[in-house]
Amino acid sequence: MKLSLSSVYRSSNFPAILKSSAFSIPCRSFCFSSLSSSQTSVKAQIPLFLRPARCSATLHDLKKWHDWAKNLASSIGLTFEQSDNGPDSSLLCRELKWLLEDAVEDHTLLPLMGVQNDDKRVTMRAEVDELYNLWNQRIHERRPFQYIVGCEHWRDLVLSVQEGILIPRPETGHIVDLVSDVVSKDDELKVGVWADLGTGSGALAIGISRILGTEGRVIATDLNPVAVAVAAYNVKRYGLKEIIEIREGSWFEPAKDVEGKLSGLVSNPPYIPSKDISGLQAEVGRHEPRVALDGGVNGMDALLHLCDGAALFLKPGGFFAFETNGEQQCRALVDYLENYKSTRLCNFEIVPDFAGIQRFVTGFRRQAI
Amino acid sequence: MSSFIRISSRKSKVDAQSTRILHLFSSGLSSFLYKFVGSPSHSHHIVSPSSLFWVGSRCRHFSHHVPQDNILISRSSFIENIIPLCGSNSFGNTNFSHRSRRGLVFASQIRFWGSQAASEQSTSDGLTVDGILANNWTILDENEGDWKSHATAVAQSINLIKRRLQWRKLMVRLDFLSAQLDKQDLWDDPVHASKVSREHGSLAGKMKEVIALEQELLENIDMIKLAREENDEDLESESMKALLNMRRNSREKELKALLAGEQDLCSCFIEVQSGAGGTESMDWAAMVMQMYKSWAQGRGYKVTVVEEMPGEIAGIKRATIKVDGEYAFGYAKAEVGVHRLVRISPFDSNKRRHTSFAAVAVTPILGDASAHVQINESDLRIERFRSGGPGGQHANTTESAVRIVHIPTGITAVCQNERSQHQNKASAMAVLQSRLDQLEMARQAQLNAQHTQSLTDITWGSQIRSYVLHPYRMVKDVRTNYEVSDPDSVLEGDLDGFILSYLSACLDKDEDGA
Repeated sequence: MKLSLSSVYRSSNFPAILKSSAFSIPCRSFCFSSLSSSQTSVKAQIPLFLRPARCSATLHDLKKWHDWAKNLASSIGLTFEQSDNGPDSSLLCRELKWLLEDAVEDHTLLPLMGVQNDDKRVTMRAEVDELYNLWNQRIHERRPFQYIVGCEHWRDLVLSVQEGILIPRPETGHIVDLVSDVVSKDDELKVGVWADLGTGSGALAIGISRILGTEGRVIATDLNPVAVAVAAYNVKRYGLKEIIEIREGSWFEPAKDVEGKLSGLVSNPPYIPSKDISGLQAEVGRHEPRVALDGGVNGMDALLHLCDGAALFLKPGGFFAFETNGEQQCRALVDYLENYKSTRLCNFEIVPDFAGIQRFVTGFRRQAI
Repeated sequence: MSSFIRISSRKSKVDAQSTRILHLFSSGLSSFLYKFVGSPSHSHHIVSPSSLFWVGSRCRHFSHHVPQDNILISRSSFIENIIPLCGSNSFGNTNFSHRSRRGLVFASQIRFWGSQAASEQSTSDGLTVDGILANNWTILDENEGDWKSHATAVAQSINLIKRRLQWRKLMVRLDFLSAQLDKQDLWDDPVHASKVSREHGSLAGKMKEVIALEQELLENIDMIKLAREENDEDLESESMKALLNMRRNSREKELKALLAGEQDLCSCFIEVQSGAGGTESMDWAAMVMQMYKSWAQGRGYKVTVVEEMPGEIAGIKRATIKVDGEYAFGYAKAEVGVHRLVRISPFDSNKRRHTSFAAVAVTPILGDASAHVQINESDLRIERFRSGGPGGQHANTTESAVRIVHIPTGITAVCQNERSQHQNKASAMAVLQSRLDQLEMARQAQLNAQHTQSLTDITWGSQIRSYVLHPYRMVKDVRTNYEVSDPDSVLEGDLDGFILSYLSACLDKDEDGA
């Protein structure tokens, strides 16, 4: 069944800029098969590498496509990089290799491409025509590679992603490490209930649940029905249905029942200031959901809301970690916490990402006296 | 702009970073080059495959893990079992009833085989393997049916195999290990103990194989003589056939002895680094890398690119591949060193002749986890690729390269070819681990005076081979003088001639009269 874009965006109030770009994506001949989700009517797409290998092509045709695609990638040079810090040719060539690996069932045949056995047929997960289409989208429309193959390799996970949800960033993985540190020092947090608000693909919820083990619980919320469907798909794929519960709704709203009971709270909320959205790298600005990026005038709307909620929803000793836009937001957020929330929250810390940019704000709910 | 960023401290300043990092990156590169190309005397990178013979976990005939209760059985109770083993005609000895009673006893017997056990065997009329060689019988064609030819050919093989195994050192080492195994307190340190017993098992296995070969040869000679005395034609032709078979199989056994080193069986990393000289030498480095990819694939090994740093215009500055398969390291270790190319450069508009260099390093991937050097997490600096700019939600990239620096040694490893940072980090750690392991092996080899011979002249720094495409065409190994007049076939991966001639040259020059 084809995923209808209109049904995805129907429920939310999307700014015009995104709507237009979202709909400017030409109707794709490439159609993922679908998996029904119990929560909503929206279907999660199956990543290319998990699709049944029902198609086939001759080595000759595959090579022809590959040569064409490689040429196209090479012709880009540094153009994207210079215009908006996008990918250069060598990165695109690497992506091409991965696309090929995801599309072809038997990788041992790949070295044979162009050597001999031109008529030999290769079993594929997509038709060669679809591959032409996909690669055109990658280069000409700057459609993110992760949407092309329908997955993102994040930490040690392979997560299904699709249009409508944010592709998890490598930086965000550090929150899982932070949680791991905290949990290793306090056993009580390990067995409690955690929440990942605005879960998107479910990346943080899945990463954290694997640290907590079978005794912990994670509630993952998202107001976007696509995210709910995709997160559910990913949770199911990693066999974590018993541990992670996905709820549809805005931030804390679907989690009212755990007010004052949470052991931990994590989130990668939209934090980019509205004025910066138009200058984003094409892969991000044109294709990823604005609702997951735009954090309001100064980018802090959601972050402030999360801090307010942390003071109410965490239990004494509970831990929180939020991702921010950088040093400025970290400082502003810690100021806010110290000035307005210090009666209930404490031990605020700013933690840098692997690039040295101050990226995360962490803290605890005060212990009851 | 993009760059590698180091995570230094939590308070690092963002604005000063790019320049600092760029500096770090370039100085890292140059020190890398210095280490691996420019510093032939650098002891760290001396590989000493002679050490390969000492730690034995690759025994194909005896259990790696001799149960402790067998190890501790007193020496005297086995001496009586061992002595008959060493005589040529004693296999029927009743003492071996022990063997059937206790399954693994045989394995632990082996540890008492020291040099005394390898006393010379002979036929019933006193002919020894050395005796056969001393007769200088002419070796006729296989089809001649002349037992003396067969015997001499096999005896020569045995001699060669012994030389390749460094027979005398092997005996000394075996004695030493046997003494160690006899110590009461050996198992107080189980790690050391299992190392000793494994090595002992491996060496004893090698020794047993050679002794069995000698014995088979002498027995066949005995049989032929006996058959002739008794005019038993069936027996004679049967024994002759057996001897001929030995002769035919001996080549393979000689070859196996070339790769009898401890790590030889391992998979390995092959790393190619371009020398000075810009695009021409980067192109050469890429050609060398392609040569190894083809060679490895031709041998049926699995090749994975771990890391590749392309040149600006053509070729590569550096690249690392992982070669998976049996004996990958055993063969590839012969390629370590600097490779020189002479040709008219396609990158020179004036069509001048250029000489360029590429350095090749090979590190074994130890299969045995207990042999690994311990790495302290705190000794590592992990640098990840990031695109410039604010990062986070602003950037979408599939670039996830990771560079790991081992601070105490300055050794670095990079991986960029996996799809997540997690995997890249794991791959880079594997490269780092194998480099540190190799460093440690080299260090231990130097500590042990016995290890200093043999292949110690393998360094990154020394030139091992010249590839000349103009004004004449030839590839010549400067170590062995082995040469080939068809450079194309060599560059397409036909390297076995070079590798085997080098391996035999190294091992065969040693241990005269072993």
